[in-house]
Amino acid sequence: MVGLSEGEKHFIRGGIAQDLRADGRTRLQFRPVIVETGVIPQANGSARVRLGATEVIASVKAELGKPTVLHPDKGKVSIYVDCSPTAAPIFEGRGSEDLSAELSVALQRCLLGGKSGAGAAIDLSSLIVLEGKACWDLYVDGLVVSSDGNLVDALAAAIKVALSDTGIPKVNVSLNAETDGEPEVDVSDEEFLQFDTSSVPVIVTLTKVGKHYIVDATSEEESQMSSALSVSVNRRGQICGLTKRGGTGLDPTIIFDMISVAKHVSQRFISLLDSEIAAAEVVADE
Amino acid sequence: MRDLHLPLNQTQRVRLEAALHELQSLAPAAASAASVTVADNIPVNQEDNILKGHGTSDHDGEVVATLCGVVERVNKLVYVRTLRARYKPEVGDIIVGRVIEIAPKRWRLEINFSQDAVLMLSSMNLPDGIQRRRTAVDELNMRSIFEENDVVCAEVRGFQHDGSLHLQARSQKYGKLQRGQLLTVPAYLVKRRKQHFHHLEQYDVDLILGCNGFVWVGQHVLVRENTESKEDKQKLSDEVDTFTPIETRKHICRLANAVRVLSALGFTLTIELIIQTAEASLSSNVEINDMLGAEFYVQTAEREARRRADLLRKKNGAR
Repeated sequence: MVGLSEGEKHFIRGGIAQDLRADGRTRLQFRPVIVETGVIPQANGSARVRLGATEVIASVKAELGKPTVLHPDKGKVSIYVDCSPTAAPIFEGRGSEDLSAELSVALQRCLLGGKSGAGAAIDLSSLIVLEGKACWDLYVDGLVVSSDGNLVDALAAAIKVALSDTGIPKVNVSLNAETDGEPEVDVSDEEFLQFDTSSVPVIVTLTKVGKHYIVDATSEEESQMSSALSVSVNRRGQICGLTKRGGTGLDPTIIFDMISVAKHVSQRFISLLDSEIAAAEVVADE
Repeated sequence: MRDLHLPLNQTQRVRLEAALHELQSLAPAAASAASVTVADNIPVNQEDNILKGHGTSDHDGEVVATLCGVVERVNKLVYVRTLRARYKPEVGDIIVGRVIEIAPKRWRLEINFSQDAVLMLSSMNLPDGIQRRRTAVDELNMRSIFEENDVVCAEVRGFQHDGSLHLQARSQKYGKLQRGQLLTVPAYLVKRRKQHFHHLEQYDVDLILGCNGFVWVGQHVLVRENTESKEDKQKLSDEVDTFTPIETRKHICRLANAVRVLSALGFTLTIELIIQTAEASLSSNVEINDMLGAEFYVQTAEREARRRADLLRKKNGAR
């Protein structure tokens, strides 16, 4: 990322304090969101999300697997994020490992819920095919194609859209005695089942610059942040996860204040995403 | 159109396509004839032995283009001027750059050229404004003039024989740029003109269209004989009182968004067009943020198509 001079930094901080940022947004406004679905034909579901100059792709692949012994009635979901070297020269080679790991952990925390599976974006018990024997493993992969700040929100939005685009093949299970109780699974390649994605949360990252906090920070604005709080909120306004980045500490009262702001912003963001998803599906159908 | 990702609805898409189509039809025929893509034949008169320049190659006795761009002919020389390439400096250009390194007696600047430009300590005015030899003390105090990452405005002085580029900043109008934002647009959108510094008095804004495609939009600063750099430093520290006034900031953002829209649509940036676009957004009550929305892009394309059509009609009428 290009460095900024003292004068430009001062200008950015001033803009945030005066509620008029460099591109004319107020503190709580998002950049225009552009959504595309079905960008990867090999995946079960995929989406591309653009937030200004930030561009991310998410894909969902489903594979048949075995449930764990501890949770025989649940499927598995894993989330992994990679940063493409096309986004920034520093991502070349091993340069992106730190950021990739940070983003993966933040998304896992915000989307997968607790150990018991409570608060998860995807109902894990809906992934079960045959209890204790077969389940669906979902591999959710994110790719940062170009980076201009606010990657967590963009990735979460892309995953939400990709999940709503995902079709899981319908399976017919037949148990017969010949194979020692091992189920015979017949995967249909014509019939697909859709997910219930209404409970998938969105993540709203509030970046604190000076005394104020902003949503959807560009990378220039992120360079001026003291800390950032990512709050994942679902449709009903429930908090599903929370992660903090940045070196500076946050006062608990400020955190509560930020959470209530995030809740408010997230409802607008969810309805915006919903309409974009609907529009993208119409385009994909054509 | 490349790089243009807009959430257009059906009517907006039709309107944008119509506007872009009209713009294309308005372009003079000579312009489209001179533009080539890779492997296109370049028609030349074989009798006058021509010189094949950059972006051309000989293929079975024909001259073909090896780059996409516009064919330029200077006497015998035929070459292809590429679009969307890096900036190619010419002596006297006014450029905006960013300091990336401080080396002995010189600053190195990133200016979107294939190499870094060099600004020598000896080819710029010292803050005290006195003409004298640069001493070792001056050399040690170079960071008090420009630091790393500072945005600097300068003029292209010339090329050294090794091909490196030298700059100069021998006037009060050149120097450090603060309190504003730097935008980068493709270099070919800024044409060389008499005036690149623009003080827009009605907005209290300085707009600098660097030939290298770096555009500075910032608060107007008075050109003083003696810049009190020390006082400036102090001012920056007690921040809140010194923030750009909100009215000026609104104008800066509006002009910056006008530049963003115009460059995304691929229109040549002239000061008149930028002001016109900003004024149009004001008069049609478009919020600053909504200037980057699809509707304003379509309106801007339509307005430009209308403007060029009017221009053409006037020209033909005068004839």
